[in-house]
Amino acid sequence: MLSDREILSTLEMLRSEHLDVRTVTLGVSLFDCVAPDVDLFCDKVRRKIVRLAQNLVSVCDDVGDKYGIPVVNKRIAVSPIAVVGAAFGREDLVKVARTLDEAAQMVHVDFIGGFSALVEKGFTNGDVSLIDAIPEALAQTERVCASVNVAGTKAGINMDAVFMMGHVIKRTASATAHADGIGCAKLCVFANIPQDIPFMAGAYLGVGEPECVINVGVSGPGVVRKAIDRARKANPTLDLGQLAEVIKRTAFKVTSVGELIGREVARRLEIPFGVVDLSLAPTPNVGDSVGEIFQSLGLVSIGAPGSTAVLAMLNDAVKKGGAFASSYVGGLSGAFIPVSEDLNISEAARRGYLSLEKLEAMTSVCSVGLDMVALPGDTSAETLAAIIADEMAIGVINRKTTAARLIPVPGKKAGEKAYFGGLLGEATIIAVANGDLSTEFIRLGGRIPAPVQSLNN
Amino acid sequence: MSASKVVISVLGSDRPGIVAAVSRVLSENRCNIEDVSQTILQSEFAGIFIASLPENLSLEALEKQLQEQLTPLGLAVLLKPMHEAGRYAPSPSEPFVVTTIGPDRLGLVAGITEVMARFGVNITNLRAAFRGGSDPRRNVMIYEVDIPLSIDQQAFRRALRQRAEDLGLDLSLQHRDIFEAIHRI
Repeated sequence: MLSDREILSTLEMLRSEHLDVRTVTLGVSLFDCVAPDVDLFCDKVRRKIVRLAQNLVSVCDDVGDKYGIPVVNKRIAVSPIAVVGAAFGREDLVKVARTLDEAAQMVHVDFIGGFSALVEKGFTNGDVSLIDAIPEALAQTERVCASVNVAGTKAGINMDAVFMMGHVIKRTASATAHADGIGCAKLCVFANIPQDIPFMAGAYLGVGEPECVINVGVSGPGVVRKAIDRARKANPTLDLGQLAEVIKRTAFKVTSVGELIGREVARRLEIPFGVVDLSLAPTPNVGDSVGEIFQSLGLVSIGAPGSTAVLAMLNDAVKKGGAFASSYVGGLSGAFIPVSEDLNISEAARRGYLSLEKLEAMTSVCSVGLDMVALPGDTSAETLAAIIADEMAIGVINRKTTAARLIPVPGKKAGEKAYFGGLLGEATIIAVANGDLSTEFIRLGGRIPAPVQSLNN
Repeated sequence: MSASKVVISVLGSDRPGIVAAVSRVLSENRCNIEDVSQTILQSEFAGIFIASLPENLSLEALEKQLQEQLTPLGLAVLLKPMHEAGRYAPSPSEPFVVTTIGPDRLGLVAGITEVMARFGVNITNLRAAFRGGSDPRRNVMIYEVDIPLSIDQQAFRRALRQRAEDLGLDLSLQHRDIFEAIHRI
């Protein structure tokens, strides 16, 4: 027999705290689609995706209905296109992107990731073509997401790729200038990209992954926040150690839900289950915010002094609870701080509590990076590249994933608002130091060597 | 020993000594208690005992003794023989939890359970849980049910949701596993 408390607290988590499964992402390997002719390749890709994903949405909805926990997003991640489409030039790769978009539309998923290249140590011809194709590919499609891994702890930082991405981000912004540079919201630059991220825009299916796989992204910042509020109300003398315990227990619950639902979806689709990514991923809905957790822990706003310490504690407690709930934890697994996708973080940026520098500092202790950060439209490719280089350095030295999803909003200045709509939200443009401050450094190019793996201080 | 079995139910105002009184009579008559459960609702005690009946003791004789001992204590006793034949045989099913939240009024339970009965959904546990203290709108009912795999799940869900809407109730229907996943290790 279940206790009343078990039943009522579960209902509460669902109804007022936005407990859900944020995404079920189907990984589809495209290695067996490789063909010398792009039309043949596209045909095989389309057929394979539709074959494997045709029931994804209905099965996720049925399973969500059975447990009363909605699966908010259903997505697809494919093998890195720069690898499987290495033989193709820029034009052909744009055609591949359009095919991915069509296939995603046919199976009713909102995003498909994997228009990706892995260049941390250097470029293949396919990598160069793909990176060159990104602006056009993202402008001509709605659902395709691109990612480029430019750095790794065992490879160092490919500064030529970093500089190239500065230009690609600028070109992508101008190709989607009509919508505040929304193309850049679908483009992530990574250090140490995991092979099994279910969350967009970084999702792709790594080369070490199986033929197909179901990965699940759980979320639940609202649940964590309410748990902290309840605990502090019941006992105002709780200290941070005790509050970390509350967060840990909550992460356990949220992760258990994700694994239960992910496994059932995988079983019904007869596809192997991969990992649970136990991230706190916000949406632009009231009560579904990571930023609010900072306020529940006593800061006036995210970005105030103390924010890095709060985020470090939050991130660690989430990992501990999640790792106990599931033996197959992967992806990014930590707290996300995407500026535009979180009402509270967006507001902190508007009110000036959150600078680019503070965001960067916080990314050294959380799971992602400079995520959905809107910058002035006149930010140069060199400055963008230098911001990316800083972010990559944090990941490389700390043996963790970091990413940059920067949006230089065409025609807009610091303090103005950029509107992306839907899950991508809106954001106040954050100021960047003016002028050619980093140009000479960025133009040096080359590869920053991999760091020593001892002498850890 | 394949002695016949008897089901004994006891109702009355709760207080210390009820189970002791019932079990003493059973013990004195060499009736072994095979299963037992009790619950207390507000101030009222209800107990149900399944006991084996020795061959030399009739059901009527046991009932007479129980009545003599328990009636003076203000307890109502009911006995019935337990039959193997004609018992409800559950078909393969999945356990779900239905909760309804809404203002209390006449006929809520009747309305919800009529739909369950019509679809052959068996209630395994039912209780009222009041939340929000004095707020009558937060009247919560929790039904643990077994939904047969053979019925049209979608039709049942639709019918149940529609009935809840007609009654002004906020209803949720979830597989039991989700509660275990969230709260138990």
